[in-house]
Amino acid sequence: MKPTACPRFGKGVKLRHDGNGSVMLLIPEGALVLNAPAAAALELVDGTRPLVEIVAAVAARFDVTADRAGEDLSELFERLEQRGLLQ
Amino acid sequence: MNEQLRPLSLLCELTYRCNLQCPYCYNPLDLRAYRDELTTGQWRSVLQAAADLGVVQAHFSGGEPTLRSDLVPLVEAAAACGLYTNLITQGTFLDDELLDRLVDGGLNHVQISIQAPQAALADRIAGAIVHDKKADALRRVLTREVALTLNCVLHRLNHDSIEEVIDYAQRLGIRRLELANVQFYGWAYRNRVALMPTLEQVRHGEDVVAAARERLHGSMEIVYVLPDYFGDFPKPCMNGWGRQFITVTPNGYALPCPAAAGITTLAFENVRDRALGDIWRDSASFVRYRGTDWMPEPCRSCERRELDWGGCRCQAYLITGDPGVTDPACSLSPDHASIASLREETSGAEPVYRRA
Repeated sequence: MKPTACPRFGKGVKLRHDGNGSVMLLIPEGALVLNAPAAAALELVDGTRPLVEIVAAVAARFDVTADRAGEDLSELFERLEQRGLLQ
Repeated sequence: MNEQLRPLSLLCELTYRCNLQCPYCYNPLDLRAYRDELTTGQWRSVLQAAADLGVVQAHFSGGEPTLRSDLVPLVEAAAACGLYTNLITQGTFLDDELLDRLVDGGLNHVQISIQAPQAALADRIAGAIVHDKKADALRRVLTREVALTLNCVLHRLNHDSIEEVIDYAQRLGIRRLELANVQFYGWAYRNRVALMPTLEQVRHGEDVVAAARERLHGSMEIVYVLPDYFGDFPKPCMNGWGRQFITVTPNGYALPCPAAAGITTLAFENVRDRALGDIWRDSASFVRYRGTDWMPEPCRSCERRELDWGGCRCQAYLITGDPGVTDPACSLSPDHASIASLREETSGAEPVYRRA
């Protein structure tokens, strides 16, 4: 996924917040438990915000370099895209 | 209660009625015993109770769930509880009107099954002329804002068509395909000699799936459910008894596994008599094989005990008569030889079609 791409969720993909603060990505016939940075990134997915902006926001929030956040998030977004969970 | 022991998934078997007669169905043989179905209000209470327990996904299945006239309000009720909703259907009643009402009601995902990629074979397996209707339903779902999985249960009668199933899915533009080797419970167990794939079919299937996954990487996800009787280790059935899944049968029994009603040595409890949360937490049937304390050897000291959880209790019962032993599908089970003889006990006889 290019840094300028604006990801959106595929059909049948939903973020779910639990009372205890945990966040899951609900997908067809499954659920992925997200760590805090992944949850923060996916909360910003709305089809209009570019990936580069999502990375910058997560980097600032978790006090890591944009390069480091970019690496981790690109891999996550890539994987989700390949499964059709992000477009 | 341990925080990990939170059910994540509720399977609502709304009805065992079905207009198809597939001999590979996992439903129980005594279908008539399930006719006293829960009411709409009772199902609503089950959905709310499940959501309160922490369940995140509700699966509506059967039988054929679209035969319940209250399917739409039940999907709406599940969505109102915050549950992700999944409809598992054979698709023959999924017309534009019903589909629109379901999607408007909050349906997130539909799984439609075909019996084979060729109409003649598919209709022969289904015991009804329905294949073309299913293709129409698949096309309809693809145009809606709802996710779709195409499912095909594989067995000896259609295993040689596995490549054609993948082509069929690709032609339609399916994003997610589930190729599920038949699991031998209910009608499928009764018909196992007719349905058991050959070793050649199983190996060929694995090669075809591996090649297709590579070829279609990024455009189609292929979920391949391994055959039960051909591996070295058992499936981690339900990810452990009473750990993540609850099934409620059409007449209200809460089960740790959809096939568990076949275990006649356990007494299951009914949501008409007791709250779902209580059944989940401390009914004798849910507690009996939960965790690892119940395990005999070789499971007890096995390093895989929290990977496959002893395999499947229903399978252990069907094959050995004791649900508390290691799943015979495991190569370490003292009963493993029974699996080999079941695997080899095949015949070209016609299967018995599912009927009430």
